[in-house]
Amino acid sequence: MAKHKDLSIEFCGVKCENPFFLSSSPVGSNYDMCKKALESGWGGIYYKTVGYWIPQECSPRFDATRKEGTAFVGFKNMEMISDKPTEKNLEMMAKLKRDFPNKVLVASIMGENEEEWVKLAKAVTETGADIIECNFSCPQMTSHAMGSDVGTSPELVEKYSAAVRSGTHLPVIAKMTPNITTMEIAARAAIKGGATGISAINTIKSITEVDFDHFTCLPIVNGKSSISGYSGKAVKPIALRFIAQMAKDPQLKGIPLSGIGGIETWADALEFLLVGATNVQVTTSIMQYGYRVVEDMISGLSYWMEEKSIDRLSDIVGAALPNIVPAENIDRDFKVYPKYDHNKCVGCGRCYISCYDGGHQAIKWDSENRRPNVDEEKCVGCGLCWVVCPIEKCVTPDKTEFHSFGTPREINVIAKKL
Amino acid sequence: MMCKDYLEETKRAYSPLNAIEEASRCLLCHDAPCSKACPAGTNPERFIRSIRFRNVSGAVETIREGNILGACCARVCPYDKLCEEACSRTGIDRPIDIGGLQRYAMDFEKSFCKKTLESPETKLQKVAVIGSGPAGLAAAAVLSLKGYKATIFEGKEKAGGWLTYGIVPSRLPQEIVDYEVDYIKSLGVEFKMNTRIGTDLTIDQLKEDGYEAICVTVGLQSPVVLSIPGVELSGVTTAVDFLSAAKPTQGAIEIPNDVIIIGGGDVAMDCATTAKLLGAKKVTIIYRRTVEEMPATKAELEHVNGLGICVLPSFKPVEILGENGKVKAIKAVGLDWLDRNTFAEVPESNIQLKAELVIQAIGQKAEEISYTGLEVNGKGLAVSDQENGKTNIEYVFAAGDIVNGGKTVVEAVARGKAAANSIHEYLSHKKNCSHIAEEAAVQKEGER
Repeated sequence: MAKHKDLSIEFCGVKCENPFFLSSSPVGSNYDMCKKALESGWGGIYYKTVGYWIPQECSPRFDATRKEGTAFVGFKNMEMISDKPTEKNLEMMAKLKRDFPNKVLVASIMGENEEEWVKLAKAVTETGADIIECNFSCPQMTSHAMGSDVGTSPELVEKYSAAVRSGTHLPVIAKMTPNITTMEIAARAAIKGGATGISAINTIKSITEVDFDHFTCLPIVNGKSSISGYSGKAVKPIALRFIAQMAKDPQLKGIPLSGIGGIETWADALEFLLVGATNVQVTTSIMQYGYRVVEDMISGLSYWMEEKSIDRLSDIVGAALPNIVPAENIDRDFKVYPKYDHNKCVGCGRCYISCYDGGHQAIKWDSENRRPNVDEEKCVGCGLCWVVCPIEKCVTPDKTEFHSFGTPREINVIAKKL
Repeated sequence: MMCKDYLEETKRAYSPLNAIEEASRCLLCHDAPCSKACPAGTNPERFIRSIRFRNVSGAVETIREGNILGACCARVCPYDKLCEEACSRTGIDRPIDIGGLQRYAMDFEKSFCKKTLESPETKLQKVAVIGSGPAGLAAAAVLSLKGYKATIFEGKEKAGGWLTYGIVPSRLPQEIVDYEVDYIKSLGVEFKMNTRIGTDLTIDQLKEDGYEAICVTVGLQSPVVLSIPGVELSGVTTAVDFLSAAKPTQGAIEIPNDVIIIGGGDVAMDCATTAKLLGAKKVTIIYRRTVEEMPATKAELEHVNGLGICVLPSFKPVEILGENGKVKAIKAVGLDWLDRNTFAEVPESNIQLKAELVIQAIGQKAEEISYTGLEVNGKGLAVSDQENGKTNIEYVFAAGDIVNGGKTVVEAVARGKAAANSIHEYLSHKKNCSHIAEEAAVQKEGER
């Protein structure tokens, strides 16, 4: 049997066999789905949000942003919280916890008022759930007393966090909306109200595409459509930013964070851990590829730890944070010239076009041999050339030149992740 | 079933998403070697970019402006020897499927009637084009787009030349040829079918009818035959006769079990495919040179291999054996090539193969064209400037196979275009001269 690293990690005081969880969404809607997911290897489940308010869903309700040559990069959904009877959901959650005692069950809840939040907290606590997540962030609720309209108001976040706190002894996580300028303010309010941790991001309000015949966005529901939540690979950079900012916030120091947004691979998940998350949640890639994606997350992360000689996952949580600094703290003493490997180069000239049209006209094109050469007089070291080059390690950062005000020393520049 | 495989296009078409996916593999080169490699100027760099950025109509426009036979060329071009061979992506993995993308754009045009070209309404001088093969079609289309009244005279019943009477439908369905001929008609080109210049009409008559320039694009109509014993036997035929019997009848011809093809070009491959798809049990191709030297495209050779057709390179037919005047076998001797022009016969590898039909696909030659008044070379080809189609007669131009001795469809298109441009130059110059002469006359009159 292949040797695998121990991927267990503690989140909000709960031991998780791995950090990979389903996020509260269609992928964790009932017992059978959750059972299959847990058997596939997921460490735990944020069960689809339960409330007393039962939504009426529309049809169709999904759309995707596509990029030529790839599977879809972004996903739009119009679904709200669970449309199953509350009692039924509670029963299924209890059964899941009974059948999978070593897996972690997080009950996601959403109330319309303080009283409902308390009541829901109590009800899900009784199912045996390990953690409660408060959904303050669904952007497509038809009830405006719910969802992201709540998450953008620190007062409501604090009030409802406190309500949930009063209804349970379990750890409480507040799920944040990205449809806000500064997430820390709402996150601090949640903690002040009694929340244990923060999860982010819920989906981003979006219009994925507009139809040219019916003049509305997609999906078209009998001639009309709505702005609703965007997820998938396209949102990952935004999610990472929110997690990193919360992790670096002095007032949120030590608060457990769960990262959500565009995770498809172990590498995506690891990025969230490196910027401070101790838990990650996934939906879109499961909707696209199935629960089995967790197999390569587990295996891939384990091999990475092996390669880096890391024994405990918690050791690398937040490891990237000290190196993510404000723009004013970036070393601006030097520039790095690119090196063009004429043997690897296939002569497409994309670097030349980009440098001319989007850079500093610093590439001399040898049209006879179809090869680029740097013009050091003009090159500012922006690195656009190695970003656009389609060949691995063809254009690389090379010689460093210090500006008159800079002191020559060893520097370290990497601009393209391979 | 057999007939269906013969009549239906073998290669699958791209769906819109697949096409964009393939187009997105394109590196969008700064200096686009693919575009430089296209003789006809079909400009793959531009049309792939249009597909990539979701402007298929724009791609159609680019292709049509460069190559009026874009849909035929998409199917029959030797891409692996032209644009795809030049493709920079080859340096990473494999070239872009340029032919496939061109076909996608052309299919899109056909399905959604996205015609992008239009001829001017006012018509200039009359031009006669002799022959409706690729060079003639291209020349007439370009002339019509420039405003000339172009008329194509064709001896046969259907237009298209070798496209119609030669290339196997599984590679080029007749529907596609007809579609492009109709397209060219819609540009205002007139077609006079069953009209042979030299017999039905003379060049002088054309002049008298007001045609101010003539473009000779008659192609190569006579098959080259081997000079070995037995070629006169019944059951020994030529590619020209075999293919032109098969295609117009949609494959309704008798094919025996054992068929031998002699030759190594796309025409030989077309004969082999036709024979196999129409029911031959065993088809064998005998080719004089090595596999590396076969002029057939890689795709055609692969297709032939896939059909279980045996290719015997480096064999030279020496005799065709018969019984009661009918072919029964072919004898060939193995060759050891020392360089491109020198070989030694290898008597140890003499072979004899059963043959009920022997098809010679070793090229075509020019028919007598003295009726044109054109100067011809030793091979009977028209002597003409390859770049502009000019000949020894000021108002007669020539292009395509009759000048270059038989090259590709795309080459014929390129030469047809060049001749049309040169006709345009000639006629506009002539018109200017007559204007000047008229003005001078008027002026003189005034002075008097």
